[in-house]
Amino acid sequence: MNDLLTVENLNVDFLSGLMRVEAVRNVSFTVAPSEILGIVGESGSGKSVSCRAVLGLLPGHARVNGRIIYDGKDLGAMSANELSLTRGRDISMIFQNPSSHLDPLMTIGDHVAEPLHYHFGLDKKNARIKALELLDVVKIQNPEQRYTAYPHELSGGMKQRVLIASALACQPRMLLADEPTTALDVTVQASILELLKSLNRDHGLSMIFVSHDLGVIAEICDRVVVMRGGEIVEQGSVNQVVGNPQHEYTRLLIGSQPGRLDSYNQPSHEGHALLEIEQLSVRFNDKGGLGTLLGGRSRAVNALDNININIRSGETFGIVGESGSGKSTIARAVVRLIEATSGAIVFQGKLVGDLKGLDLVEYRRQVQMIFQNPYDSLNPRASVRQTIAEPIWRHGLATQQDANERAIELMAMVELSENLANRRPRQLSGGQCQRVAIARALALSPRLLIADEVTSALDVTIQAQVLKLLARLKDSQDLTIIYISHDLAVVRKFCDRVAVLRHGKLIETGLTDKVFDQPANDYTRTLIDAAPELDSALLNAAAL
Amino acid sequence: MTDVATFTPQRSTVPSAGKLEIIIGSAIIVTWLAMALGAQWIAPYDPNTISLMDILKGPSLAHPFGTDHLGRDVLSRVIFGARIDIWMGFIGVLAPLVIGVTIGLVSGYFGGFIDTFMMRLVDVTVAFPFFILVIAIVGVLGPGLSNYFIALALVAWVAYARLIRAEVLVLKRAEFIDAARALGYSHRAILLRHILPNSLGPIVIYAWTDAVLVILAGASLGFLGLGAQPPTAEWGVMISDGQPYVIQAWWICFFPGLAAVTLGLGLILVSDGMSRRMRIVQ
Repeated sequence: MNDLLTVENLNVDFLSGLMRVEAVRNVSFTVAPSEILGIVGESGSGKSVSCRAVLGLLPGHARVNGRIIYDGKDLGAMSANELSLTRGRDISMIFQNPSSHLDPLMTIGDHVAEPLHYHFGLDKKNARIKALELLDVVKIQNPEQRYTAYPHELSGGMKQRVLIASALACQPRMLLADEPTTALDVTVQASILELLKSLNRDHGLSMIFVSHDLGVIAEICDRVVVMRGGEIVEQGSVNQVVGNPQHEYTRLLIGSQPGRLDSYNQPSHEGHALLEIEQLSVRFNDKGGLGTLLGGRSRAVNALDNININIRSGETFGIVGESGSGKSTIARAVVRLIEATSGAIVFQGKLVGDLKGLDLVEYRRQVQMIFQNPYDSLNPRASVRQTIAEPIWRHGLATQQDANERAIELMAMVELSENLANRRPRQLSGGQCQRVAIARALALSPRLLIADEVTSALDVTIQAQVLKLLARLKDSQDLTIIYISHDLAVVRKFCDRVAVLRHGKLIETGLTDKVFDQPANDYTRTLIDAAPELDSALLNAAAL
Repeated sequence: MTDVATFTPQRSTVPSAGKLEIIIGSAIIVTWLAMALGAQWIAPYDPNTISLMDILKGPSLAHPFGTDHLGRDVLSRVIFGARIDIWMGFIGVLAPLVIGVTIGLVSGYFGGFIDTFMMRLVDVTVAFPFFILVIAIVGVLGPGLSNYFIALALVAWVAYARLIRAEVLVLKRAEFIDAARALGYSHRAILLRHILPNSLGPIVIYAWTDAVLVILAGASLGFLGLGAQPPTAEWGVMISDGQPYVIQAWWICFFPGLAAVTLGLGLILVSDGMSRRMRIVQ
């Protein structure tokens, strides 16, 4: 078979100080015409580096070895000039964060017309006609109107469509997609995947699709390469690799997919009400600023609109929603990082909004929060031990010395080895940092733990470990957990009851299994259908 | 404990960046410090002994930097002068730094009326040229070193307040500050333990540069007769003293000037090296 792209024995290393760090070792793969090859792996597996090496898009201190043959041409032997003529014309690339890959001072139309001008020398008028066609192909509504819009006027999904349109402008035969849907909401992700699939089907576009999400890979790819630590551990057709994994790591990766996790969901929970949220509304006022001075109207945003939720003692309550749904706002209102505009939050019979001074401090002892980004939520200058011990002595529960000893016990509880006690957050992995944050939250023996997207920044295998840890701690520490996530598969496995939020409104709430199996609301159904699921993707593939 | 196996420590990509500047700079500063501290042993003569026999002698073995119009040994005066000038740089930076950091922290963290008030005060202060304002204040209070320090404290804090406020505005939106609030820490604990240590970086770098400015400004004030008073051996005063004789006896002005330049160079090098290192870490 005549392959479109052949990569043989690719090695990439980076100069780091006086040392060379190997990023990719002996990677070989091929892509056939109109085939979609997936590269899946966790952070640091070398998947993005392998993909970027194809187009020579690595930073200057990278050294690339190996043969990269595209359509009979050796890309590795090309001069920088020849290579830049190949980019965009023969092979294009799209990236993870569409916002940072679009020039904020260029209109949408110019983004798409520019490669036509550069590669084909089209004049302004013809480039515009062609660009409008392309915007139509990527299903941007009213391309005529959008043509003069600037990137900030578009949503994330729209921006990714623009990026795809400009990547496809010169009709390349191959598209490299580096985590193109990772920064997008599930419903938007589903539409982008649909678009990429249709481009593959209708135009015979070949693709390398890099992702950390096996569910997405299974949905869109024909074949898959599994990478770990810079090496390929396994490759083959998606059905073969997922259905009958040969390598131990592939099995671990598949077993860590949320859909395959053990279920911690215990629907028959009868506890008394611990936290009641009644008619909670939060409005953000865009106060002051130059705009108001110049006569612009001050805008108010309804972040939360009339939310009613009861959380029972001992349960795990999930809150799901896409970005901007207000799910984090609930968490921040509950711990009083922001004030409610109206409505009430009642914790064990006390009105949270009225707490002051020592009462508020005591409330904060009982209600703890863990944040999304494990690196950002720890003081970069404090050691692990200091971070975990600080709440204990600040709340006067022990002397500083006793608190330090207690910190070591807490580290053991979250399965952190004692010899990490003097490390700073920068010297820890993401999973370790999140364990530190969990230990710090548990240091005060809280009743209620609010976990806000705590596993979103982690690799799936680490996510599986952290979820297991949380489930164990919930039982042993008698915790009630509010689990906030955009990931429906995780929520389904982890939470007893669930609330679905959209644009600050409560759409639906109920037992997790019931909401997922028989959603009462159309939006909930759309959300569930949009979430990529390994097993359903395989079923669909088998049906075809 | 599977995470431990995959852990790789993160190091800056260019570990030696800025190191050379810091080493040379600190060497210069340490040399001057040693001279200032050991002046009475190092200096060959008493800095204030007048010797009418030796008036305006050029550099020689007996007087390597020559003598001034009163026959005082210029080398000894330069060495003793280091005491005054380094002390001036130290206090002249420390006082505004403490005031500026305190105001900047409070202003940035709490915002609102305090912030508006303080920042308008900063605007007003910045609107005047630095030197004119310092000279005006010293003029009102009367000449002398301690009044120079008071003038500096009143004028120079604004830069520190602005720098630290900008850092605090960014930091207070960081997740670990939210985390600290959610943990029930007091404002004081958050400010001192979590915000202050993380916002000091740019301040420290600026302080080294500021020290140069303060020393040169102090020397200029000495030259104008508003700083240290004669017969104190201070570099600015010495240059001022030597000015009438600059044609026949260039060494009276040249060597104190050279001293000020080398000390300034040392400070600038350290500041430069530190900012380069910091950029890498970030």
